[in-house]
Amino acid sequence: MEIKAKLKDGIVSVKAMAKHPMLTYDVAKKQGVEANFITHINATVNNKVVLDMSTSQFLSKNPIFKFSFKGAAVGDTITMTWVDLLGNTETSDSVIK
Amino acid sequence: MERRKFLGFGIFAAAAAFVPASLIAEDYRKTKPDAWTAHTVEDAIAKLYGTSKTIEQGVTLTAPDVAANGGAVPVDFQSDIAAKSVAVFQNANPESAVCVFTLNENSVIDYSIKMKMKQSGTITIVVEGRDGKLYSAKKAINVALGGCEG
Repeated sequence: MEIKAKLKDGIVSVKAMAKHPMLTYDVAKKQGVEANFITHINATVNNKVVLDMSTSQFLSKNPIFKFSFKGAAVGDTITMTWVDLLGNTETSDSVIK
Repeated sequence: MERRKFLGFGIFAAAAAFVPASLIAEDYRKTKPDAWTAHTVEDAIAKLYGTSKTIEQGVTLTAPDVAANGGAVPVDFQSDIAAKSVAVFQNANPESAVCVFTLNENSVIDYSIKMKMKQSGTITIVVEGRDGKLYSAKKAINVALGGCEG
């Protein structure tokens, strides 16, 4: 997962990209494989949740998304984790600039 | 077991037990499974929030009028409403729900996502206010090339 987090005027804006095929049920059926997509993404800073997102199969392949939050400082570490339908997870972190 | 190792193990175990609870605040796929299989936007909103009545104000939705690639339609939305959650729906795909954000006191409603659209349709953003009302914004998008094949 690629994460860029920047603090400006008290608000941290984050741009992130998760590497995932996001196979929908339709496509998976055609290819004869099991559907698999990210079902939940979350982000924490100092053990506080700053993003909590339940997702469906309709996010794009390798989904890019942006979000913002308050209450963090430059140098804090943001930790993001996704979970997919098959139970795979990936955790990445990045330092807020 | 040596005392030092034993203490270290205790801290690790405590950390491992603590992490899952803090990682998932509310998994809407588990708490509201029906919302994810609903085929119409109204039905999905009703399954998620109990009512499909929304007020069309207070939410800014930005998306292209014509999307060249339905596999990654950029959708931006902002709002200043004090809210508990934000949900994204569309009526171009077999099911309506795209994603649901749970908010807390640190959240700022300023999101940008990329989503798939199989055909032209309408995107609906619903903001669940702390006052219990639902606020929404809609936008119709023409999709030149459907994106569920990706």
